[in-house]
Amino acid sequence: MLGLTTGPVCLASCGPVVLPWMLVQPQGVRWHSRQLLLFLAARLAGYLVFAAAVWLVGSSIPHAWSRRSWLVGGIQVLLAAALVVYAAGWPRRRCALAQPSSQLVQIGEAPRPRTSGALALGFLTGISLCPPFLVAGVRAAQLAHLWAALLFFAFFFVGTAVWFFPYLSLGFVQRTPAVVTVARMVAILLACWYGLSGVSILIERAFYG
Amino acid sequence: MASRSSTLAQPAVFRGVGRSLLLTLPIALWTLLMFTPSFQRAGRDLHIAAAVVILFMTALFFLMMRTGETYRWRRIFFVALGFLFPVGFIASLVAERGTMSIPLSRMVSGDTPFCFMVTPTIILPAAFARTIIFPGAILPTATNTRSIAFMIGLWFAFTLVLGKAWCSYACFFGGIEEGFAAFPKRRRLHRFVTKYGGILRLIPWAILVFVVLLSAAILEPVYCMWLCPFKTVTEFPAVRNVETAIQFGVFVTLFAGLVVALPLLTKKRTQCGFFCPFGAFQSIFNKINLFEIRFNREKCVDCTLCQTACPTVALSKDSIREGKTLLNCMKCGACVDVCKKDAAVWHLKGTPVAVKPERARLLFLYGAWALAVMFGGNILAGSIAAIIGFLPWK
Repeated sequence: MLGLTTGPVCLASCGPVVLPWMLVQPQGVRWHSRQLLLFLAARLAGYLVFAAAVWLVGSSIPHAWSRRSWLVGGIQVLLAAALVVYAAGWPRRRCALAQPSSQLVQIGEAPRPRTSGALALGFLTGISLCPPFLVAGVRAAQLAHLWAALLFFAFFFVGTAVWFFPYLSLGFVQRTPAVVTVARMVAILLACWYGLSGVSILIERAFYG
Repeated sequence: MASRSSTLAQPAVFRGVGRSLLLTLPIALWTLLMFTPSFQRAGRDLHIAAAVVILFMTALFFLMMRTGETYRWRRIFFVALGFLFPVGFIASLVAERGTMSIPLSRMVSGDTPFCFMVTPTIILPAAFARTIIFPGAILPTATNTRSIAFMIGLWFAFTLVLGKAWCSYACFFGGIEEGFAAFPKRRRLHRFVTKYGGILRLIPWAILVFVVLLSAAILEPVYCMWLCPFKTVTEFPAVRNVETAIQFGVFVTLFAGLVVALPLLTKKRTQCGFFCPFGAFQSIFNKINLFEIRFNREKCVDCTLCQTACPTVALSKDSIREGKTLLNCMKCGACVDVCKKDAAVWHLKGTPVAVKPERARLLFLYGAWALAVMFGGNILAGSIAAIIGFLPWK
């Protein structure tokens, strides 16, 4: 129930990562379904890792919270890097801008679809700390057994995962060069946001403890 | 300002004074109606300002009718709006709280006047989290009569009819860069803009998607907090720490670059054409609104004068060949006025192209100028009243 009710927040929290990444994938619902399932599988792995960590930390969550910034900062920097590589398709070997024309609506070639993209982005969003995730984390930490915490998070995942299926509709969006270019620009902007946010957290931790 | 003879062709329509006055009458009446409340309120400054604006707006519309030109007269209003809006706004801020910066407590209490620029970013959070992420009042309050509901209602009604013309007749920011773009005689960076226009036009869409997604994710109006160049000349979060200092730095840099420097270099509205996410959002409504600019291919000689004149790079060679503008056309009328062959025409959707285009122009202008008077006219009057209030001999 917690997963289902907080699903819209998960949808909004992961939207900045999922939407640009899916829009640079080839058109087609079948391909999108496969990629989304991989993404969700990796996300489940992230959930279970977090559930295990939270259960182990248990009652010392406030102590872990004080160290959280390193974790949050690190995850955001990694997320930024993953967006650059898998959604923006950089770095690349050659820039295709040598002979631009007035019709140009593309910055070089679009990134090649890779399974590792779904896995990396899924796992990183799976361990990102959004508000519903923290609520679930506190609940899992109070459980008596590790398997109970894992089961709790698995069900929490199922509840939230339902909300991701509307993203399959992106498979119907026609992949014109303009759509792919906009998606890649969005990925770069979001990577800048996550990167700067992560670095500022890390700097803050390094200087102020 | 570049001389008109070098850029604009002889207008297609040149009406007599009587007929022009007759066509101006509805707008004159509408303007009087809009300013009746100003005369009912106390304050000589406001009465003078309202009288000036009534004359100003009516005279400009009359000149549009008389000369058959749109862009030239609209630009005078629009630039005046752009430069006077910050004057009135800053004056009211200084009078009320003594500074342009707004403390967090005032933002949280919803004292911020609603700005239409955040409209696209509040939709998703309102739908999913049932929260308006802008710190303003949804319904009118004692201190803030321009509520969110009022602004969105006004914007939506006019946008359905006029599409992206909102950006040329109502936006109180676009006039600043249009003013700077009017200064230089020569276009620099013209080749760059033409060459990379295809990519530059996509940037507002990317910023739109970015701010919409991120605003929904962190429940904060990201554009307002981090990317709005016009915070520089309106109000901004008080600089109290590194984060707010960075925010202020971003606002000033974007303003200096996109609103001042690049329009001076390119003679284009670079912020509107290559950055503004609200403009991209407005473009969507160009698909469903009633009016558009079309090109009569039988008359067009592909001289590309219109493409050069377009202030927001809303024309490409391909689009002209297809007889249409691109989606980001804001119906300013520059291409129509500059066309020497009368190939660029106003068009009412659902009617034959290039048949009675002046009728389509008239219908469009009545709607657009009504909006300009209602929205911009009141802002102009408030700003002029503030200036009169500051005059030393008063």
